[in-house]
Formats: sequence, C-alpha cells, structure tokens
Amino acid sequence: MVGPVIATHSSRAHVQESIARGVLLAASAFVILAMAAIVVYLASEGLRLFFVDHISPLAFLGSAAFEPDSRSPGALAFIVGSLAVTFFAIVMGGPLGIAVGIFLSQLAPPRLGSIMKPAIEILVGIPSVVYGWLGLTLLAPLIRLHLGSQTGFGLLTAGIVLSIMILPTVISLSEDALKSVPVTIKEASMALGATRWQTIFHVLLPAARSGLTVALILGIARAIGEALAVQMVIGNSAVIPQGLLNPAATLTTEIVTDMGSAQQGSVLQHSLFSMAFLLLLIAMALITLVRWALKRSAL
Amino acid sequence: MTATTPSTATPFVRKDNASQRRLADAVATGLLWTAALGIVLLLAVFIGYLLYLGAHVISWHFLTAPPSEISAGGGIGPEIFNSFYILVLTLIFTVPVATAAGIYLQEYARPGLFNSTVQFCAESLATIPSIVMGLFGLIVFVQVLHWHFTALGGALALTLLNLPALMRVTQEGLASVPQALREGSMALGATKWQTIRRVVLPGSIAPLTTGIILIAGRIIGETAVLIYTAGVSVSPGRSAFNWNPFHPAETLSVHLWYTHSEGLVPDAVDIGNGSALVLLLIVLVFNISARILGRGLSRHFTGK
Amino acid sequence: MLSTEPVTTPVRATKLEVKDLNVFYGEFQAIKDASMDVPENRVTALIGPSGCGKSTFIRALNRMHDLSPGVTVKGHVRLDGQDIYGKDVDPVTIRHRIGMVFQRPNPFPKTIYENVVYGPKIHGLSDRRKLAEVCERGLRRAALWDEVKDRLNESALDLSGGQQQRLCIARVLAVEPEVILMDEPASALDPIATSKIEDLIGELKRDYTVVIVTHSMQQAARISDFTSFFLLGDLIEIGTTSEVFTKPKDKRTEDYITGRYG
Repeated sequence: MVGPVIATHSSRAHVQESIARGVLLAASAFVILAMAAIVVYLASEGLRLFFVDHISPLAFLGSAAFEPDSRSPGALAFIVGSLAVTFFAIVMGGPLGIAVGIFLSQLAPPRLGSIMKPAIEILVGIPSVVYGWLGLTLLAPLIRLHLGSQTGFGLLTAGIVLSIMILPTVISLSEDALKSVPVTIKEASMALGATRWQTIFHVLLPAARSGLTVALILGIARAIGEALAVQMVIGNSAVIPQGLLNPAATLTTEIVTDMGSAQQGSVLQHSLFSMAFLLLLIAMALITLVRWALKRSAL
Repeated sequence: MTATTPSTATPFVRKDNASQRRLADAVATGLLWTAALGIVLLLAVFIGYLLYLGAHVISWHFLTAPPSEISAGGGIGPEIFNSFYILVLTLIFTVPVATAAGIYLQEYARPGLFNSTVQFCAESLATIPSIVMGLFGLIVFVQVLHWHFTALGGALALTLLNLPALMRVTQEGLASVPQALREGSMALGATKWQTIRRVVLPGSIAPLTTGIILIAGRIIGETAVLIYTAGVSVSPGRSAFNWNPFHPAETLSVHLWYTHSEGLVPDAVDIGNGSALVLLLIVLVFNISARILGRGLSRHFTGK
Repeated sequence: MLSTEPVTTPVRATKLEVKDLNVFYGEFQAIKDASMDVPENRVTALIGPSGCGKSTFIRALNRMHDLSPGVTVKGHVRLDGQDIYGKDVDPVTIRHRIGMVFQRPNPFPKTIYENVVYGPKIHGLSDRRKLAEVCERGLRRAALWDEVKDRLNESALDLSGGQQQRLCIARVLAVEPEVILMDEPASALDPIATSKIEDLIGELKRDYTVVIVTHSMQQAARISDFTSFFLLGDLIEIGTTSEVFTKPKDKRTEDYITGRYG
C-alpha cells in the first residue's frame, strides 16, 4: 500500500505538472500566433495597393517608375537594388566566411580559436548603424578617393558593408557544418595520402554541403533584410543602377527613407507596405529553402 | 640508436604529384590563415578607428545632456537611458516566453506537426528583416492601438524579433545537461516539471545567462525596428528621462541614424562619432561581461 | 627487455622496423620503448587487453598521430630502412605507401565509385578509363566487385556494414600501398561479414604487408603469421603466432592467452 502522504504529495505534483505543461505549451503556441499575426497584418496592409488602389501587381513588380503620387509605384529599381547588393555581399562575404569557417574548424590552434570566437561574437553585436557609420566615414571616402566615384556612395560601398555584416553568420554556421563531419572520414582521407587541403576540398566541403548551403542562404537573408547600414551608404536614388559606383536604392532603404513622410492611406504608404510584405515573403521563402536543404541532407 | 639509412632505399615519393600537392596545400593554408587573421585585423581596425573618431567627443556633458534639435552641443543622455530602458522592457517580455517555449520544445514536444510549425515560425521570425518587423509594430501599436510611438511598442516589436534567438539559447542550454541527471531525478519519482525546475534548469544556468547577455548586447543595438515603433524623438528637457512606457523613446542607435540622415544640428558628425563609439563600448562591455559571468557561473554550478 | 627482441629467423625481409617507439598523450605515456620488425608479405597481429596501446601503436606506423594536437611520438619507424619520422619527410607521402583501415567503416558520403577512385585521383590520376580500371581492380581484390558492380554510382552509405568495410579496404588498395594497417577492422561487423574480411586478409598478404590490431585472440590465431602482445603500453612479446600462442616466453603473455586478463 502507498501511504496517504505520498499519495497527496504526488497528486499535487501531477497538478503542477499539467499546469507547467500548459504554460509551456502556450508559450510555444505564442510563436505560431505571433508569426500568423505578422503575416496577416502585413498582408492586409501590403495588398491594399492591389485591392484598394487597384494597381496591378505587374505595375508594382515590373516597372521602375516609382511615382506613387501619379499612381505608378513601380518597385523594380528597389528589387534590382536589393538583389544586386545581396549578390555582391554573398559573392564577397560568402567565400571569405566559409574560408574562416574552415580555418576555425580545421586549422586554428586552440589559443587563436579562443581569441577569434569572441571577436566574431563582437562583430555580430556591432549595431548595423555603426557598420553604416563606418561605411560612411571610412569606406566611402576611400572609394571616392581611389575609384573616382563622385560621392563614394553606391552599390559597391553598400555591397562591401553588407559582405562584412554577413560574415559572422556565414562563419559560425559553416564552422558548425564542417565540425559536424565525422572525424573518421577526415582520417580516412589523410590515411590515403591526401594533403590537408585535398581532404578539406574533396571530402569535408562536399560532406558539409547542405550545412554550407544553409550558411549561405542565411547570409543572403541577413543581407537582403538589412536596412540602415545600406541606407547610409547606397546613395538612395530610385533608379535601376547602371554601374557598381552608381547610387541605388533597395526595398529596405526605400521603406526607411519614405515611411516617415508617407500619408496614411496614400499610394506611397501602401506601396511601402507592399515592399515590406514582399520582404516577408522572401524571408519565408529562404527559410523554406533552408529546411529543404537540411531535409535533403538527412536522407 | 639510429642505424645509417641504406642509400638504396626507395625514395618516399613514388610516381606521384607530391610536390604539386604540397604546394597547393601550402598556398591554401596561407590563404586560410590570411582570411582568419584578416577578420581579427578588421575588428581591430574598426575599434581603433571608432576610438580615433569619437574619443574626443565623449565627455560627461555629452553622455548625460539631452540632445539639441538645432544648435550644437547636444548630448545623448536620454538616448542612453532609453536604450537600456527598452532593453529591460524587452527582456521582461522575451525571457519568460522564450525560455518557456524553449523548454517545451526541448523537453516536452514530440516530432510532429505542432513542433515543426513552431520551428518554422521561430525560424521565420528570426529571419524577418528588422525594418519589416518595425512596420508590423507600426501597424499594430501605432495604427490599430493608437499608442503613437512608444517605448512599449518598440520593446514588443523587439521581443518578437529576438524570441527565436533566446529560444535557441534555451534549447542548447538544456541540451547540454546530461541525460543521466534527468534519469536520476525521474528515478526518484520526480515529475518531469520537478526534474526540469530543480535539476535541468539549474544545470543550464551558465549557458543561459551567457546567451541572454549576448542577445541583450544585440537588442541594444537594434535600430530599424525601433524607428517606426519607439520613434525618433525624446520628450523635451528634464522629462526626457521618462519611465512611462507610453512615451516616445529614441534609443542611442536610432539617434545615430537620425542625426546623420535627418538631423539639423551643425555638429551632427561629432554626435555621430561619439554615439558610434558609445554603442561599440556598450557592445564590448556586454560581450566581456557575458564571458566573465558565464565562466564564473559554470565554475560555481559545476563545482569548479 | 629480452622479450622485445625481433623475431630471430625472419622468413622475409623486414618491411617496417620499429625502434624505441614512445607515444605520449600530453603527459601520459601510452607506448613505452617499443621495438619490433614487421616482415614483408606477412600478417602481423597486435593483441592485448583494451587500453594496452595497440591502437596507439598502429597509428604511429603511418604518422596518423600528426593529426591530433597534443600527441608526441619519439623513436624511429623505418620503411624499407628509411625513417618515416626523419627530418623533411612528408607524412602525406608516407600514408600513400602505408594505408590504413579503421575500426568502423568510414566511407566518404559519395558514390561507391568515387570512394574507390578518391585516392588515385588525389594522387594525380585523371584518365577516366584508367580510373574505371583501378576501381574494378580494387573492388575485385577486396572481394566486393560482384556485389556492387551494378550500383557503382549509388551512395556508399547504402551498403551494409561489412560491405562498407570491404569498400574501405578497396579504397586503400586502389592507391597501391605497400603496407596495410588495420585497426580492429572487424570489430563493428557481424560474424559472416567478419569471416569475409578474414578471408580477404589471407589473400592480401601475397601482395602486401599487413599489420592488424585485433581484440580477438581467435582472430589473431586464424589470420596472422606473427603476433605481438601489448600490455599497459609495453610491447611484451613478439614471435610467430604459433609460438606466442603455444609457448609464450613471458608469463604475462601466457596469463593473457589463457584468459587471466580481461
């Protein structure tokens, strides 16, 4: 027989258990709720341009004429700008980030590793406006001086700033991906007489392929969503950029630049919400891509 | 003792591309070292340059005085206050919800539709651009609830943005507690919740604390999400240091951006230089204290 | 120590000569002054209780310890008379000549074909027809060809454990090493797969010198020509397998053989 004291104690424990479980479950459900609310609210504001102002999605996505006052909110210049700076960021920052990830996971002497980890953590923590400020005061003058750009502001400057900003993401994710490759595979390659670089290039990188893909996708996500650092150095000109040194604008910088002065209910405001909604869809698409890449590697 | 090596011995390098491979290996090693040291150098240059720009700006007056709208000589006192105030508000919301959700996912949830939906939503939240989250805050707190620009609205938008990171920190912290400890507690008849509260959570306190401080260091630098939620202004004069969560509360990072892009003051460059340096120093303090505290706690809780 | 003298009447030339080998993990000495001769075209087994240093010893024979920071190796290992720990010796070229098969099958996450031709490729062979030949020859010699010849482009990870281990052997054979080191190659396999690997080892010694670590005395007795016994980092005794198993010179060897150690 179980004594009564123990019985009541444990029944109270079971009540606590169900309460705790309920609270924890509610907190998890809140995450779904929050995301749903974001999608619903941004969609309802972001689709007004098409359903209230009756502007065709083609005129929004396919035209570079951004004149909301005359009902022409063409966002193509911003879309091209976003894609261009993101492309430069990933082309410059991606390989460098993976290289440092390789270094940290395979080459770094422990002492150096323990210096670099906090350094990368600090790079993550530096606010985007400070990166923007550095781009403004350090990089733009250099580009003005050496590349003959008039202002120093433009696609190239923004791309370089972004490539540095995505480095920590790419570095730490690619380091994790490479570290998760079993050491036995590395040994097998070395035991066949491969050099360290051959082992890295022919075995480790392919084996970590899906993790590295994820690192790059999340780097892209960070780059395409960054607003202020880009806005401070890109020159903010709503035209499709003709060259690397030309000023441009992106979806995010355009929101930052014009939201403050947009009348509630105006075509301008609606088109800015549409851009935000487009950015939300891009973010969700990239996350879906990440999950697909990870699932493929699990097979 | 070493015998003399017979001169007839087969050379180690047979028909092979060894010298070529060795060269490639050396070149690659050199490049990887360059990349890695380049990162450290880059950080050093950033810190040095910001010090060079901003050191002469920083004074007691600059750090405490309210900002000026038109004339030179404004400070960043209320902005520093607001940065920490909004940080604290954000943590008050984020920590309980994120740890609870993290505990659920790590300890209770079984693989299934609910679990993968939560994961997908958390990852999406983490990926939403800061400015987009800012517009969501603008819609909900400013347009629907008519709060206007408020510290509370900013903190809530920041909460959504940073929930996933803290959930992940929680999950990783819990995962670092050995399974044997859980089994030991359960075998004594403890319920799952009792086990989590008395064994698992205390066991993960060090990584949790470190993680929260590091995330706090990032929250304090968030900018885009706050422009259209907490606003770009502070109340005039003494009332700038305002504990009312329903007041507009421009933070230091927003101030740096605003002064540069829209400000009218003649000393905007100095204010920018000073603000950038102060932000950097705050981030450094957060990172260093996270490390020191994390190390201390883990020593304390794991018995040295 | 008397018992560590090399075998008195080597049947063949000495392929590997180990002299005064010491291995340290930081402060801890895992191998103490071990010396032995490994004869060419014979199977030499290393036996002893777990933790005795036999795996540490075999990993010193192709400089695998170079990969682990904190491990130091002192002494000499001579391959055909030349010290592989000598100055200016590139461990990469050593491992080309002294291959290794590990405890658990560790195929690359690539196709079967890519696994076998990996070695020849990194050593500079790029002719597709030759690679295909090398692949077939390697797989045949590893007695795996018939089982996989129709699925060379499938992932090696889809093979059974025993097939994976034979693939790893084929992968080593494809670089045409002179010595093959095997670190308990059958310990993760079932009995049938194990006996296939054992048959294979018997075949291999015609062309290669084989050194194998095994925790199973029966296995050592079945497949090896020479046996050396390790205990707590000491190489206690080495001799022909029949000598070591029937009339061990050292009391400790006898105790182990007769089952008085774990």
